This record gives sequence, structure tokens and C-alpha cells, in this order.
Amino acid sequence: MSRLRLNDLQLAQGGRTVLEHVSGNFEDSAITALIGANGAGKSTLIQAIMGELAPIHGRIECDVPKERRAWLPQQLALDLTFPMSVEELIMTGTWPSHGAFKGYCGPHYRQAREVMSRLGITDLAHRPLGELSGGQRQRALLGRTLMQEAELLLLDEPFANVDVETVEVLMGVLRDMAAQGATIIVVLHDLEQLSRLADCVLALAGGHARWSTPEAIVERHQGGTQRHHHAPILPLDMPGLSP
Amino acid sequence: MIALLNEWFIAPFDYGFMRRAFVAGIALSLAAPPLGVFLVLRGMSLIGDAMAHAILPGVALGFLLAGFSLPAMSLGGILSGLLVAGLAGSVSQMSGQREDAAMASFFLISLAAGVMLVSLGGSSVDLTHVLFGSILAVNSSALFLIAAISSLIVVCMAWMFRAMVVECLDPLFLRGQGNRNGLVHGLFLALVVLNLTAGFQTLGTLMAVGLMMLPATAARFWSKRLEGLICIAVVWAMVASTGGLLLSYHLSLPSGPSIIMLAGVGYIASALFGRYHSLMAKLRRRATPLEAAEAG
Repeated sequence: MSRLRLNDLQLAQGGRTVLEHVSGNFEDSAITALIGANGAGKSTLIQAIMGELAPIHGRIECDVPKERRAWLPQQLALDLTFPMSVEELIMTGTWPSHGAFKGYCGPHYRQAREVMSRLGITDLAHRPLGELSGGQRQRALLGRTLMQEAELLLLDEPFANVDVETVEVLMGVLRDMAAQGATIIVVLHDLEQLSRLADCVLALAGGHARWSTPEAIVERHQGGTQRHHHAPILPLDMPGLSP
Repeated sequence: MIALLNEWFIAPFDYGFMRRAFVAGIALSLAAPPLGVFLVLRGMSLIGDAMAHAILPGVALGFLLAGFSLPAMSLGGILSGLLVAGLAGSVSQMSGQREDAAMASFFLISLAAGVMLVSLGGSSVDLTHVLFGSILAVNSSALFLIAAISSLIVVCMAWMFRAMVVECLDPLFLRGQGNRNGLVHGLFLALVVLNLTAGFQTLGTLMAVGLMMLPATAARFWSKRLEGLICIAVVWAMVASTGGLLLSYHLSLPSGPSIIMLAGVGYIASALFGRYHSLMAKLRRRATPLEAAEAG
């Protein structure tokens, strides 16, 4: 089953075509890694899926209601000088389903506390966002999507500038969400994370997309010269997409 | 002592115009600073200034058509302010240009149009009044209008408070939820326009921004929490508007500038002595490790 389908998609930024003839289904209850070099169109595709960018040609069919779609942007997109605590940030996750104009009630606060303990940030509840480390901030942001009970989750490089322990926590939570039926798309640059986290791979290069599996990518990567596990994924490593 | 206090703080309010000015100041102080806090947090501190210029042609047109009628001038101001905000918003959405560039272009056009309209139809005295206002000339109907607009702003802000917070922190999150046309942003700008229209009668179109921005910028030095920022800004706006009024009464100063100057003194003092990010706070931070080293 798939609740997110791409149909001969063509996407452009500022008059320049970034991706062409992209088709395929994102699996439910699975984590799909989106890989590709800088400028390959990963963020463009995410924008299009979130409805921020209208396709030039083709269709994106999404059966997940808007309030259950969540997007974790790259960290820099957030205004971190904003005077808000971790708990308040997580509570904004109720917003899409609960409405912007109603107050919070008891169950919401209980749910927020559960979310925070699951992410190991209970003691940071009243800490302002500006005082968090990169990893703590990423946990808080994922907390918001948990609060939202997201069924479609798009993460743009969630593990960049994040400590090892946080990566473990975040991966665990993402796996749980996928097990509960969520469709998850993650932009990744790291081979080791790819092999541990992803069920499927969508590789972007040269304006085209190709579906693959983590095993194929890893095998391709490690064939020939033995490279370090943490090496970035290069376009050359993508089967059938070598320039 | 009591007599002195009475003479300074109570006696001035024996006059009706002082009482009305006092109430008008309090009403504006409740509505304006929270808007200012959000403008500061969004990095749009100068938008208030731009909007103040944008309401000028409408006020002038109202003045030309209906004479010195507050409802006509206010309505004109609201309409031209909304028009400029809408035009700037749509130009920036259409062209992808930053909103502040479009806003700056439109407010300069409206400023020129406003000054031209006032000069065509009236004397320079009228222009001064529109530009700088006169809180001591607030009559009962003007006071009613100011109080009504201020109440409306406070109620609207309470209603859309969380939406404004989310929009400020993470507009992408809000847009992801289908809020595509910047509804919250548009409503917020409309409230700014409304507030400036309420303020122009008392402080003038240009000075009305002062009561909105100065308490908000000063509050940044005292609190790191949103509620704290808003409370401090509101209290300081009340102190400044009442204190400025008394100063202008006792020292025969113009009322609008006295109020804004007092608010400005608060800002400078906060920048020097505030709890966070001020000069003193920076100095204190440098001193702490030395003391700790001595103790250890």
C-alpha cells in the first residue's frame, strides 16, 4: 500500500528544470532515504511533496490529510532567538488537529510529557530554544511531529550537527513511527545511517530519480576500494546513474 | 509631601482633557506594545514605521473630504494602510522580492501622496496636526474610537495568539498545514494598521509607532519569555504615556513627543542596565569568573 505516489513528475526552480520523469510510490510503514549530491533536487522534491512548489508536469497524489503531514526542515530554517520553551514548541504540534484558537487541556500536557520522556528531554521542558544544543533542538523538533501524530514525515538532513546519542534516539523514534504505519522520507548523506535506517532508497542525480535498496547502495559503495563507512554517498555510487 | 504629590500627580487630572488623554494613553498602551513585541521578534521593527506612513494619504483624503472628522480620517487611514500592506504583500509574493523592499517602495509613494493631499487642501498647521497629533485635544468621541479599536486589537490578539507565535517561529510549519495565503500574517498587519490609526489622533501618524516599538525593544533587555516581554512592554508603555503626559503638563512640552521621549529614555536605560544583553549584563558576565577564581 502507498499513500504517497509520484506520477511522471517534472519540477523546476526559477525556470530551470531540477527533476524530470519522477514516478513511483513511497511505501507505508517504511523509511525511504532520499539521497543525492548537493543540488540534485532533494529539497525541491520535499517542497513539492509538502505542496510548497507546484509541479510543471505530472502529479503528486497524497492520501494523508494535511494535518498529519509534518516537515522537519534543516535546522537553520528556524528562528532560534524566539522566546519559547521546549514544552511550548512541542505543544504547537497539537495545533494542526486541535486548531489554532483553542486552549490546551490536560491530556495534551500529559501527551507532551510522554513525548519528552521518550526523547529524553524531560529536564529541558522549560529551557528556551535559544539555549539548546543542535542535538537537543532536533529532539524537540521531532517531539513536535510526535505530538502531531504525523503519518507522513519528511526530514531534511535530521542528523546534521547532531551528537551520536541523539542520532540513536532519533533513529529509534523514527523506526517506531514507521512500525506504527507512518510514511517517512529522510534526506541522508551518510552511508552508515542509510544502511541502518532506510528500507528503500530514492536516489537523485542528473535530474532523474531511481528507486533502489539500501543493500544495493552499500554494496555498490563498498565494491572495489574499501572505503570508510562514514563516507558521503556520491552520485557515482548510484546504480545506473553514473554520468 | 502629600501636597506635592497631589500637585504633581493628581491635580493635573482635574482637567477633563487630561483625564481623556490619560485614558487614551492607557488604552493605546494595552494594544500597541504586544504588536510591537511580535514585530520585533519577527525582525520587522521598521514595518511599523512604514505602515505609519502608509496611513497618511488616507487620513489626508478623509480630512479633505469631510474636514476635521475623526471617523472619516480614521476610516481613510485604515483603508490606505490595508491597501499598502496588501499591495506590498502581493508584489513580494508575485516577484519573490523581500517584503520589506516592496513595503519601503509603497510607503514612500504613500508618504508623498499624503503630504501632497494635505498641502492641496489645507494649511501647514493641519499637516502638523496629522503628522504629530495632539493627545490633549482628544474629545469624547475620539476617546470612544480609540478605546473600541484598542479593545478589538486585544481581543483579536488573544484569539490568534498561538497562530501568531507559530507563524513567527516557524512559518513553514504553518504553511505546511495549508495556511497558504499568509492569513495570519495578513491579519497581523491589519491589526498594526488599526492600531496606528487609533494612535494617530493622539500621537500623530509618525509618533504612534513609538508607543508600539519602544516599549517592545526595551523589554527585550529584561525578559527572555514571550509573556514577560509583553507584560513588561505594556507596563512600560503605560508608565511612559502617563508620565509623558504629566511632564508635558508641568513643563509645557508638547504631549506626543514627551511620551515617546520618555519611552525612549526607558529603551536607552534598558540597553545600558537591562538584565539580558545590555552593557551592564555584558560587563557582569566578564566579572563573574574572576570572583569565582578568587573564591576558589
